[in-house]
Amino acid sequence: MRRYRESTGEVAERSERSRWRAATLTDRAAIGYGLLVVGLVAVSYVLGAVGWLPDDPSRMDMARLNAPPGAGHLLGTDFLGRDILSRLIVGIQAYFLPGLLAVAISLALGITGAPAIASIIAGKIQFLRQKSFIEAAHVLGLPTRVIVAKHILWYNCAPLLIIQATLGMGEAILVETSLSYLGFGVQEPTASWGNMVQAGANYFFHGKFWPSTAPALAILGTILGFHLLGDGLNRLLEPKSAS
Amino acid sequence: MAARELALTALLLLGVSLVVFVILNLSPGDPFSVLLEGQAPGHAARASVHEALGVPTTWYGRYLAWLGNIARGNLGTSIRTGVPVAGEIARAGPNTLYLTLGSLLVTLLLAVPVALYSASRAAGALARGLRLAVYLVSAVPVFWLGYVVIYLFIHRFGVFPLLSGSAEPARHGWLYGLLPIVVLGVANGTVSEVTRHLRGELGRVLTEDYIRTARAKGAPVWRHAFKEGFLLPMTEMIASKIPFVIGGAIIVEQVFNWPGLGRMVWQAAQDRDFPVIMGIALVAAAFVRLASLLRAVIYAGVNPRTATD
Amino acid sequence: MTRPPLLEIQDLRTYFYSRAKEAFIRSVDGVSLAIAPGETLGVVGESGSGKSVTALSILGLVGGNPGVITGAVHFAGGNGASGPRNLLADLERYVSLTKHDGRIVAVAKDEPGWRAHVERALARVRGKQIAMIFQNPKSSLNPFVTVGQQISEAVRLHTGVTHASEAKERALGWLERVRMDSPRLRFDQYPDGLSGGMCQRAMIAMALASEPSLLIADEPTTGLDATIQSRIVALLAELKSEFGVTTLLITHDIRVVSRLADTVAVMYGATVMEHGPARDVLAPGVEPKHPYTSALLASLPSTQTNGRRHAVDGRLPVIRGEVVDTMNVPRGCRFHARCDRITDAIRARCMGEEPALATVAAGHRMRCHLHPGEARGG
Repeated sequence: MRRYRESTGEVAERSERSRWRAATLTDRAAIGYGLLVVGLVAVSYVLGAVGWLPDDPSRMDMARLNAPPGAGHLLGTDFLGRDILSRLIVGIQAYFLPGLLAVAISLALGITGAPAIASIIAGKIQFLRQKSFIEAAHVLGLPTRVIVAKHILWYNCAPLLIIQATLGMGEAILVETSLSYLGFGVQEPTASWGNMVQAGANYFFHGKFWPSTAPALAILGTILGFHLLGDGLNRLLEPKSAS
Repeated sequence: MAARELALTALLLLGVSLVVFVILNLSPGDPFSVLLEGQAPGHAARASVHEALGVPTTWYGRYLAWLGNIARGNLGTSIRTGVPVAGEIARAGPNTLYLTLGSLLVTLLLAVPVALYSASRAAGALARGLRLAVYLVSAVPVFWLGYVVIYLFIHRFGVFPLLSGSAEPARHGWLYGLLPIVVLGVANGTVSEVTRHLRGELGRVLTEDYIRTARAKGAPVWRHAFKEGFLLPMTEMIASKIPFVIGGAIIVEQVFNWPGLGRMVWQAAQDRDFPVIMGIALVAAAFVRLASLLRAVIYAGVNPRTATD
Repeated sequence: MTRPPLLEIQDLRTYFYSRAKEAFIRSVDGVSLAIAPGETLGVVGESGSGKSVTALSILGLVGGNPGVITGAVHFAGGNGASGPRNLLADLERYVSLTKHDGRIVAVAKDEPGWRAHVERALARVRGKQIAMIFQNPKSSLNPFVTVGQQISEAVRLHTGVTHASEAKERALGWLERVRMDSPRLRFDQYPDGLSGGMCQRAMIAMALASEPSLLIADEPTTGLDATIQSRIVALLAELKSEFGVTTLLITHDIRVVSRLADTVAVMYGATVMEHGPARDVLAPGVEPKHPYTSALLASLPSTQTNGRRHAVDGRLPVIRGEVVDTMNVPRGCRFHARCDRITDAIRARCMGEEPALATVAAGHRMRCHLHPGEARGG
């Protein structure tokens, strides 16, 4: 049962509710979570770069190997007794800058999923060209460049570009962690979420799940955050397509 | 037009092989160091190995030699095992093909029902839950999921789903492939995008004028919406996500010890076995290109405008 | 109306909801119409007057939410043995309305339930007893299927013909009847290869091929070139005299209506303002006349000098003010702010009370305080 209620007062006087207020709870939660993740990643990147870590990521605490979260090690230790939390924070270094770079390039040139994004944008421009509001803008004297930039690229493609940026970052994380898992990326003893999962693999089958699972959950939570952010923003900014 | 596509394909394969070759040569290590293990890898030692094997000294020389062999249908021989590369690929290829196609099917089995359901009901608790589930599934690292699944099967079911060492699948070998197929199909990272694209396209097509006409006419909507709303987006997704599945296959073959090209190329990378790497890269590129061509064929067949070219 | 109507719409309301403004868009706000068998009713009005949404509401093709919320559509077509059926029967079971001061302020609707219910009722009617053609014929035809196959589909769905070859022959017959040139050639072509006018002919053929009792034409000439428009109108006039299909013709073009319609309904602000015989409603200067209709007729450019009010100082007469906002419907008469016949004596009434659709002459009803007539509600 869907309910619709008209609020009291003169409709003409009413200004449009901001898009945020009109958004559903789910979308707000998604965007909130996504922003939280992005914030954590950015902060962690800085912490890692500067070296402000709870523990030295290479220090081996021989007394506590593969320890669960507990005293002294908020997220436990790996098979060499190294603090997992610190290594997770440092692991962000592996994909953060490359990811940003990849996203920037792909946005500027439409490279990632290249033919796909380029043709999607080209297709959109083609399709929108036929829309009458473009004609109207032409008639009003707006030069073609401005029409393309303002009306097409921003109003219509902004959601698309946002999705591409967040997806791109998610993809970058996926690629980096996969490569380092396979041993082609960041090498031991430097930490990367991928090689952390790989290192903990043997112990996994002996019942010590945590050293592999902690970084896996980090990957999961982070990629999820970027995807939800992109999806949430996309739905928020979409020109009113009635659900 | 066919000639143009053929020429394009050749150009593409050439480009890929060149890029891979350059990357290999720029990376630390080379096949000859492997052979020189234990000995001092001095310049003279390397030169003598080159001479002994009859290999050109410059990288482009080696590339041209490789090209020459390709032209004669010879993919070279593995430096590590001495076995012809073509033979190795033919042996392991079908296993990876099985894995790749199977997992694509699993991905679609997940994405299509969710997309169809969300296209018809945009709101509602179930739709939102599905959306979240799809995103979750797409964020799971496939290697970790593999471990979880293997552990569950060992611990819970007592079934050992792995093939030991490099043993070939026996008569019921394909059964062993089911688990890696499911894992790769679920966690290759593309489920959310495929779902989103399918749902988006179907949703868009359903608002088209000609669908409204079909409804007004009392005609079954799915029949009219099928081509543009389902067939074309599906083809697009399959063709564009194959590279991801291939990449995931390398990981999954590692985790499950599956005797396919993925495991082979990983091993070859460890050994710096250039001919094997080159051969597999070529095969992978050809496969992706084939998928792309098939997509173009389907598009042309469905779309009257392109058919009149 | 001497014969019982083929189609009778009673107090139809179709609303949409703007989440941004938290208000209803009252696109169809109490529309009542009736069409006698064999008659062509022309519904005219400006964009936004609700005429297209009314047509879509009849066949359950309305897209947004909440959609149709109240009203009845009695249709007597089909086998005719049993009496007229209400296509919106049991609507009130799925909708509950809250009113304040006589005005609807809240709606609760079980959309999935209503959809399931109404699809069953309409399945027997759509395309078979009531056929509809749309504006923008090129985009209204499936671009991936040949024109001929789309017509054949209509034949196979609704006329009991099962063999493809026989359906094709029938379809070709219809293409000839709509004066399509080279029918056999066009049959195998895609809409992309046909001009707008030809696509519209094909759509008309597709609609008539199922031999419906009622044809709804939603702006059939809009979007076509001017010369093509008159050809399509001529075609529709020919088909009308040949087959006599009852037609609901929706258009903003008064010339089209004057050529084809027997009766005319004038819509403004989501409701019917005037409804009567075409020669009475459309003839300028003939009283009684609704102020809106007068103003509409006066604003038409005309090359003839048949007593029409001429442009003053070279400018066409316009109706002052702005089109009523369907989100913000005024109390009282919807046209009062722009009416040039309003007098001080009557102003208070026009502003405070919406006039009922009253009979002012035989078969001629009007919604205006200047012509109170005999109110029968509506």
